[in-house]
Amino acid sequence: MTAVGTERRVIRVVVNGVPYEREVEARLLLSDFLRHELGLTGTHVGCEHGVCGACTVLFDGEPVRSCLFLAVQADGHAIETVEGLAPSESELHPLQLAFWEKHGLQCGYCTPGMLMVLKAFLAEHPNPTEEEIREAISGNLCRCTGYQNIVEAALSAAQLMRQS
Amino acid sequence: MSGRTTFGMIDAWERVTARIRLSQDVSIPGMLHAAVVRSTIPHGRLRRIETSGAWTVPGVVAVVTAADLARIPNLRPVYGPQIEDQPVLAHERVRYVGDMVALVAAENARAAREAAARVVVEYDPLPAVFDPIEALRPDAPLIHELRPEEPHRGHAVYFGLRPIFGTNCCNHFRLYTGDIERGFAEADLVLEETFRVPAAQHVAMEPHAALAYWEDGRLVVISGTQTPFNTRQILAQLFGLAPEQVRVIVPPMGGSFGSKVFPRIEPQVAVLAYLTGRPVKLVLDRYEEFVTLTRHATVVTIRLGLTRDGRITAKRVQAYWSTGAYADCGPDVARKGGFGSVGPYRIPHVAVDSYCVYTNLPPAGAFRGYAVTEVVWASERMMDIAADALGLDPLEFRLRNLLHDGEQFATGETLHDVHFRECLEAVARALHWEQGSRARSPEGRLRAKGLAVVMKGMTTPSRSEARVGVDRAGRVTVYSSTVELGQGARTVLAQLAAEPLEIPYTTVRVVDPDTDRTPFDNRTTSSRSTYMMGNAVRQAAEALARRLRELAAERLEAAPEDLELLPGAVCVRGVPERCVSWGELVTATGSDELQEHAVFRNEGGLDPETGHGIASSHWHQGAAGAEVEVDPETGQVRILRLHAAVYAGRVVNQLTAALQNEGSMIMGLGSALFEELVYDEGQPLTTNLSDYLIPSFLDLPVTLSHDLLECPGAEVHGLGETALPPVPAAIGNAVARAIGACLTELPLTPERVLRALRATRQEAS
Repeated sequence: MTAVGTERRVIRVVVNGVPYEREVEARLLLSDFLRHELGLTGTHVGCEHGVCGACTVLFDGEPVRSCLFLAVQADGHAIETVEGLAPSESELHPLQLAFWEKHGLQCGYCTPGMLMVLKAFLAEHPNPTEEEIREAISGNLCRCTGYQNIVEAALSAAQLMRQS
Repeated sequence: MSGRTTFGMIDAWERVTARIRLSQDVSIPGMLHAAVVRSTIPHGRLRRIETSGAWTVPGVVAVVTAADLARIPNLRPVYGPQIEDQPVLAHERVRYVGDMVALVAAENARAAREAAARVVVEYDPLPAVFDPIEALRPDAPLIHELRPEEPHRGHAVYFGLRPIFGTNCCNHFRLYTGDIERGFAEADLVLEETFRVPAAQHVAMEPHAALAYWEDGRLVVISGTQTPFNTRQILAQLFGLAPEQVRVIVPPMGGSFGSKVFPRIEPQVAVLAYLTGRPVKLVLDRYEEFVTLTRHATVVTIRLGLTRDGRITAKRVQAYWSTGAYADCGPDVARKGGFGSVGPYRIPHVAVDSYCVYTNLPPAGAFRGYAVTEVVWASERMMDIAADALGLDPLEFRLRNLLHDGEQFATGETLHDVHFRECLEAVARALHWEQGSRARSPEGRLRAKGLAVVMKGMTTPSRSEARVGVDRAGRVTVYSSTVELGQGARTVLAQLAAEPLEIPYTTVRVVDPDTDRTPFDNRTTSSRSTYMMGNAVRQAAEALARRLRELAAERLEAAPEDLELLPGAVCVRGVPERCVSWGELVTATGSDELQEHAVFRNEGGLDPETGHGIASSHWHQGAAGAEVEVDPETGQVRILRLHAAVYAGRVVNQLTAALQNEGSMIMGLGSALFEELVYDEGQPLTTNLSDYLIPSFLDLPVTLSHDLLECPGAEVHGLGETALPPVPAAIGNAVARAIGACLTELPLTPERVLRALRATRQEAS
């Protein structure tokens, strides 16, 4: 008898524009797939049950908690992680630039999740109010900062992105 | 910040791109993954451990119980920073739910966890105790049997440890000044109240992560720890090695807040690595975080003697700290909380008894605020209760009793650079205290303000060493064992090294702590690093600048005083063509890098009998104030304004300092309103982030602000945590004022606030 979820499936998934074909256990979490199978350690796991938002990635452009998704669910879909944000090795995405300049982080563990949620949010709300930003990232926990600079960084990123 | 240079974090690029390799991201080819089998009962004898089920999981390489540890020659399988009471693996007995019973190593983390779940452990339950006061009763089950002839003193106990043998008390701190009975006899009014603070968890976003391997008889551990040198020492003692035979490397961490102080999982991965002959890595999951280390649940009784005109004649404190199943640094927490409970006030007669007590709960140790949050809750609530009883304004009552520069604290030490008054006044200004402590309330809401002041010591005595070097390419490197956990240590140390060398701080490299490469440091705790390590780094950089001038003087045949230091070169002043690069100077010495080393110490200590002496070589000082709005129908508390003022002496980095203040305040807000570890007969009920709430964006005060107070010529004061301890007390004082009820217990949940309101109404009717 095989344990539940141990059967293996081949999945095809595009991560940050790169196509991958991998055989995985059906029970493998998307977060573990990204971190351990693909070595994309920028996706951080904080709570393991969808509460802290640190592991947020974009799934066909929509933010999802990769700790609540199975890798097999990503079969045939496009995933974007924090590693795919910056346009090149030497450039930053406006969100990254804003988090740097406005000092929207301390340890940086929650940052990838914040960035991915905001990327999707700002795509739909290019000119948000502070209140809307707070609401948009209210599902992402940060234990280090007092959140103030994260809001400022998001506002600043929105401005940078409108200008570009 | 206007007119000042701002210094962004030097590693911000790595963090926003998530290229930073945190402790949990470290991997080594061929490494195994570990998982832990943990006790499911709070106290009991181990009857049988059945490991055969674990071996059926493909990929399992080792299943290790206490019996297997005998295969490691010279292993002394017990450790602890202040009392050596913690077994590497439970043998014969388990002492809390979560106690480590067995370890599994497997080819992948999933197999390790699955195998761990298949280990069957049978217990014979023993009576257990969970409350620190009950645990001190003569009939309480003894969790450890400390004996005078076997005190099990750990190496990191830097003070006189006083267990009460034959009880669960592993340290009794005393501080006696004056004549306490006379103090109460001289009082017009004597008040007494008991306060409680629950256990809490740090919830660093990155869990504990460690990797160990053995190389030619040496143990190498790569771990997210705030204590590289303590961990090295403890591991060496465990394995019977010289400290130099152990190497501890510390990558940056995703937060810690005290949870990664002293060994937590390093002994276990080291044992597995030894027994398997392969590198082994362990990353805890969120559940395990909740049973690995906590903040002490605390009960504090305060008796205060007062005169009608608002002077304090006497203060008697009895504090009980539930340190859980293993002492960890609980003995020191009871000590620092002991002297911290006196507060920054002029009190002629003081008697403090502070007891660190074993209970059958997860170990409690360091937590941002280190004992001071708990005693400030009690002391500063008591100050408001006393002000009300005397009919005095709480600010005025505090100001009348505050210690001034040059006055003596209860320990007998003279205080210098005293700024409690400015901190409180800054808070009062921000709250518009002059308009009264009660605010106008909208219909159906109760509004009021509250404030609190804090004094917090820094580890004394202690030592920090640093080396600053310049290589043949002219590149400057700081070698320091201060760890980076998000506080910005690398940035601040780079700045302090850059200043004397007159180079941009962004060109300075700060290497990760590595006990083989970076010199000794006590540990990255107690807000000491910017001051202690900062001074060591600055002195080393100054020495390096002098050395470069001397070498250049010889080379350029000029007097050192005629030379000027430029980034990367030394030149004769006003003669730009007479220059020599740093790289050339280094190359000429024949070495690859020119290094200077500096040591910075602080001195002091307390007499274990009286508590007299130097508790802290300098004091962290701060205050907080809150304006709150309470819904009397639901008991819900909303924070309208939260302000903290912290004495910084001199701010090294405005950005990182501001973040430390804001982060401390919001962590304090969590403690004030909802953070509480709940247990049912020792079974933890709050073991995930749905049941244990930490502040989110939506919990923020309407207005959050703070001050960093500076003084020309003053020395740097650490501020990693000063703004935390006064926050729950300030909020509690505001809520108590708003609802006109006595609040003694944290957190201020709606249920608790409603109960207090109801009790007051019943009293009134």
